[in-house]
Amino acid sequence: MATKKKRTPNVQNDSWVVIAADSAIDTQKHDSDPTFVRLRNPSTDAASLYLLGSGDVQLYEVKAFQEDFRSWFVGQSVQRDGRLMFVTPMDPLYLILPYLIKSGKEGKFQPLDQVIMDEELPACSRLLSCTRSLSSLHHIAEEKEVGGQKFHRYSQERTMNWLKKKVERTVVALKKTNISVGEGVKSTTYVRVKSESGTHEEDYLRYAHGLISDYISEDLSRALLKHLGLPELTSPKETEPPSKKRKLSDKPVEAGEDYTKFNSADFARKPSKKMSAAQKSLAKVDKTGMKTMSSFFSPKVKTEKK
Amino acid sequence: MDLKPFEADNSVSCRLTSPIPDVCRSEDCCLGVDEAGRGPVLGPMVYGICFCPVSKKEELKNLKVADSKTLTEAERENLFQNLDEASSYVGWATEILSPNTISVSMLQRTKYNLNALSHDTAIGLIQYALDCGVQLKEVYVDTVGPAEKYEEKLSQRFPGINVTVRPKADSLFPIVSAASICAKVTRDRVVKGWNFAEELGDVDTDYGSGYPNDPKTKAWLLKYLDPVFGYPQFVRFSWSTAQTLMDSKAVTVHWDDDEEDGEKAAQRQNNRSMLSYFSASAGANNQNPSHQTHRFFTERRLRSLDTLEV
Repeated sequence: MATKKKRTPNVQNDSWVVIAADSAIDTQKHDSDPTFVRLRNPSTDAASLYLLGSGDVQLYEVKAFQEDFRSWFVGQSVQRDGRLMFVTPMDPLYLILPYLIKSGKEGKFQPLDQVIMDEELPACSRLLSCTRSLSSLHHIAEEKEVGGQKFHRYSQERTMNWLKKKVERTVVALKKTNISVGEGVKSTTYVRVKSESGTHEEDYLRYAHGLISDYISEDLSRALLKHLGLPELTSPKETEPPSKKRKLSDKPVEAGEDYTKFNSADFARKPSKKMSAAQKSLAKVDKTGMKTMSSFFSPKVKTEKK
Repeated sequence: MDLKPFEADNSVSCRLTSPIPDVCRSEDCCLGVDEAGRGPVLGPMVYGICFCPVSKKEELKNLKVADSKTLTEAERENLFQNLDEASSYVGWATEILSPNTISVSMLQRTKYNLNALSHDTAIGLIQYALDCGVQLKEVYVDTVGPAEKYEEKLSQRFPGINVTVRPKADSLFPIVSAASICAKVTRDRVVKGWNFAEELGDVDTDYGSGYPNDPKTKAWLLKYLDPVFGYPQFVRFSWSTAQTLMDSKAVTVHWDDDEEDGEKAAQRQNNRSMLSYFSASAGANNQNPSHQTHRFFTERRLRSLDTLEV
């Protein structure tokens, strides 16, 4: 039975299925509850959802596993939204970085609370409460202290070294978790007899770079690639072999067959046949308003589309 | 007839059998196949076989077995009693195909239609008789679908056995009538004592004949329609009666293999339809074309969110 089903309109969701780190929901140490906040995604430059743990001490990113045709049975109810959300710890430096880079263009040392500002997404200032933020800022910025107040300035060199370390640590994690980084898809259920020989160190490095690139701007991603000593991949179009051309040879071009006989003088055209009686009578018929046979085979005149 | 094996779990199929008479192992036998409960939207479909030595055909006639449809329930029970008492030369077996089995077969991803299910069940029962050492020479079957094709299929499957497939075989051959009585009696008993797996409280068992056109059956189907789950396992979900009611009254459920077509469906499934390759703006549906999520995330269907709302 192929009945078309109507989609019922989405109803407001008031619950979600979430997997979160224990630390994310721990409210014992601080008075404020963990909250979902919208912050600027450094990779897309648009707002994305993040979670700040209680007391804004730790930043978490929110990712959703989402496929078509999924729903949840939760206790005694059904939840239409079949997503599975993951709340995983994240280094706040990634989110601070774009603001620092922007103010760094002026080349001045500035107090952080003047740098981390966003009219559209005011929650960004809360990033500074994260314990990791201030203590690890030296990875991406130079620091100056004047009269008890700290001033920062973006450093490309430090950032590159920091990101390189991130890539290297990602490589270690990739190897540990047995993630397929090579070309093509590897089935986890397929057991190889020989150990993986096709994946090189560069594959891991490139994969890790790609992963980190999901957390930084495109410009930084390109700079990081250079810093890692990886050549930029050429697009597959350019690596395609050139289309085959006919080989040129020195020999004069000659026709494979002799077509001249039809053009020669002694080639007599057959006289056109005389029309039969029936053909003659047909020819006399009044043809006004009739279409020629060939007109039925010519392309249609396009009618205007609605 | 001991129904306990089926009642222990009525969501699956179950085979009930009589002891095999000794003469059936030494003499040439004939076997009849018939079914009961093919049409109803409620309850199981039961396949029955009955077999006896070819030489005892006349005695079987004397038991006055006749097409089960012409008999009342009491008469059928009586005749089944007679068959059971003739156990020195008559053997039988029935296969109960639970409504759940029928629903699951017909609605699974690779569809297994009712005819194929019927044929396979019949074949299984004939094979069971052979496996028990019954010397089968003749098999009579009431037809399911075109008789010639079915006959050819069975003849090929059982070389050396003379297979006869006829419409109305249950009124032509006493051995098929006997099989039809076994099937019908089994079905009646199973339906009567149906053990609802679901917590429905005191179930109203006044559902009429169970056939889709019975108003009582329809009323019952309406009464026991759950907006989320549909029906108890007693109902064949694959019947259009049940499906139509669920389509109109229950919550819409979308499955991976739903037949949907057109641009909209393709877009929703994130595939590109063939047509999109011919339009000017092919593939430009990504909002931010410069940004591409790394394959670590796309392969795992993971994405960032900008809001908690769906």
